[in-house]
Amino acid sequence: MSTIAPAVPAPAASWPLGGEDAIWNALRAELQKLSAQLTSRLLVVVCIAGPFAFAAVLKVQSGTPSDALFGVWVHSSGFAISLVILSFAGSWGLPLIAGLLGGDLFASEDRHGTWKTILTRSCTRADLYAAKLLAAGTLTVALTLLLALSSLIAGVVFVGAHSLVDLSGVLTPPGKLLALTLLSWLLCLLPALAYTSVAILFSIATRNGIVGVLGPLLVALLTQLLDLIGKGVAVHLLLIGSAFEGWHGLFITHRFYGPLVISSLVSVAWIAACVTASWRILRRRDFLASTVSRGPDWRTPVRVVAIATALVAVLALLANTGPTGDTAYRLSAAIGEEFNNVTLLQQQLIGRRVPAGAKLDILPNCNRRAAKAVGPGDWNCTLYVYLPQAQSVPFQQTSVEYDVSVEYDGCYKAQSPPAFIGGPTMLDAHGNTGTNPLYIVYGCFNTL
Amino acid sequence: MGAGRLTIVDAVRTSGLVKRFGTRTAVDGVELTVSPGQVRGLLGPNGAGKTTLLRMLFGLIHPDAGTVALLGRALDGLGGEALREVGGFVEEPAFYPYLSGRANLSLLARLDAGPTAAAVQDALARVELERRGDDRVAGYSTGMRQRLGLAAALLRSPRLLLLDEPTSGLDPAGTRAVASLVRELAAEGVAVLLSSHQIGELERVCDTYTVMREGRVVWDGSAGELIAQAPASAYALATSDDELALQIAADHAGVRAGRSRRGELALSVREGCLDEFVFALGDARVAIRRLDLLVSPLETMFFALTSERAALEELEPEELAETVLAGL
Repeated sequence: MSTIAPAVPAPAASWPLGGEDAIWNALRAELQKLSAQLTSRLLVVVCIAGPFAFAAVLKVQSGTPSDALFGVWVHSSGFAISLVILSFAGSWGLPLIAGLLGGDLFASEDRHGTWKTILTRSCTRADLYAAKLLAAGTLTVALTLLLALSSLIAGVVFVGAHSLVDLSGVLTPPGKLLALTLLSWLLCLLPALAYTSVAILFSIATRNGIVGVLGPLLVALLTQLLDLIGKGVAVHLLLIGSAFEGWHGLFITHRFYGPLVISSLVSVAWIAACVTASWRILRRRDFLASTVSRGPDWRTPVRVVAIATALVAVLALLANTGPTGDTAYRLSAAIGEEFNNVTLLQQQLIGRRVPAGAKLDILPNCNRRAAKAVGPGDWNCTLYVYLPQAQSVPFQQTSVEYDVSVEYDGCYKAQSPPAFIGGPTMLDAHGNTGTNPLYIVYGCFNTL
Repeated sequence: MGAGRLTIVDAVRTSGLVKRFGTRTAVDGVELTVSPGQVRGLLGPNGAGKTTLLRMLFGLIHPDAGTVALLGRALDGLGGEALREVGGFVEEPAFYPYLSGRANLSLLARLDAGPTAAAVQDALARVELERRGDDRVAGYSTGMRQRLGLAAALLRSPRLLLLDEPTSGLDPAGTRAVASLVRELAAEGVAVLLSSHQIGELERVCDTYTVMREGRVVWDGSAGELIAQAPASAYALATSDDELALQIAADHAGVRAGRSRRGELALSVREGCLDEFVFALGDARVAIRRLDLLVSPLETMFFALTSERAALEELEPEELAETVLAGL
């Protein structure tokens, strides 16, 4: 007859993690699963081949994606291609990658009914959760870096590692550009991971892979919509999407880091909140009968969508609250200095000698084309320029009109009719056709 | 533990286990023990709480009250260390359909951080899946998934097996092989808790039983105790002279006989009374042409404990025959 010995608390009882080995073993198992899935393989292929396809398409057409920062330069510098891809990736690509990786990672266990299979092995729930987090994070980072490298290589192969005009209108050499471009991609890892954590939360909360995948895209869409309707800085800075724009401040002569630091901290806060919430849901969950044969449960997703809709409404209402950093003074100062730089650069490119330290006398005057005098949107800037002319006494005054589209983060695209500044391309001193730096001007100013 | 005294820790020990879903109590104060080398059958009708109990033992469901200790280690509801030497599955085994059977097992082996590729191969061979091991699970039949589930359970050399309907979807040969495997493991000291609706299969392998109804344990004991306490078993009988057989049955204590509307005989026989009745038929030169056990002691006990149906002894002869011959 057996005698009863008192139950010994298992190590797992005092601490939910089974140890580094258990997490490592679970991580390897997760990576084994992900590597066998078609979605993961397709993502790798797209991240490698996508930038090459993009660069190849640009190569065979004369148009440029000029709405994106640096877009007008894609035929002149390979780094512009990488930076344009980074802009697109921040808007949609990385949220999609995050959704496809993190969104189905947990919900797929519900779909296949395999929670009971893996939870009854030697790993604790915490081990499996940590391993899945690490797997999603590792692959998100890997795919982002793959996209970064692929876009750089594609740009260099199809266009060349040429200098690029930065957001202050200064020609930046390739070495510095390479460093800044790589740094920009690295800075986008945090918001990419934040989107992954959002996907994981959606996946765990709804147990529905479709909602998990679409969740980050919905948040990205929300960011885009609030960018359109909101003038206030506060709500924008609370969104993950703003962190994808933090790198803009690195491409300015007088760099500013405020938005970058704040948006990075916001990304960390999103990660912490989503990871904590998703773990609390998973830890408390009872794994009842298999849902394999019953299909996905849509009640929870509907509840989540209802909550998300209410949240969107609140954010939309708050989008105009708080100060706006887009003021006439800031825009005038930024565009005035930049116009000076690109004008001198244009003169250099066409072979005219520009003395070191030369500076035009420019008086900018910017006005917003709306009832309110501040905020993002359409602006008009008139630059009164006093040009040193050989026959003038002593200067000739002229004015240049720019239509300026200003984003909430202080970045803008300015475009002028070609009467004064010429067309999109021009002939340089050697007779080569190149991008006219005055045609479309990209810039940024600090809104904080 | 005293010096020189061997202490055998129960493989499963639950105490006051309770689980409620809203206002419904699925498991209500269950006390259960399974000793090493013991094969305990877990019986009960649908909704009795068997699967909920098994899920709690696996740490898949948090109990509202009570404790679970597996192989002497307290289960905190989050699995892990307490499940280290526990194998098995609850409901139908589930695997990743896009991976092969072998890849699924090697993935689970990774989670266990123990078994090697050779162990995976052995497990596949033990359930006769080695030839299909490299096929994707998506192409497996229900029976093959069941075999793979057993392979996954055996992969970690368990000291405790928790099996929920392990023969579901298996052909008769597979069913016998599972029964044989369970007995073999029990002989090696592995404790087995086996939940099944197929009472006949449980009788082949179990030495103790726990019967549940509406979340509670309504009977618990050994096979011998069950047979001793069981109400009458039921048989179908065909003889050379059924009328005389009915008269002889009426004269024997512990034996009740009836004839169905189609003229077939059915008996309800209390434990130990069958032999005298058969001798009496022989003495009366009534040849027995067929005597089939239709309802075993375990089954009659099961139905007595878990259904509202009247006991066989309480039925009128014709009703008895109709009931027994219809298979309860």
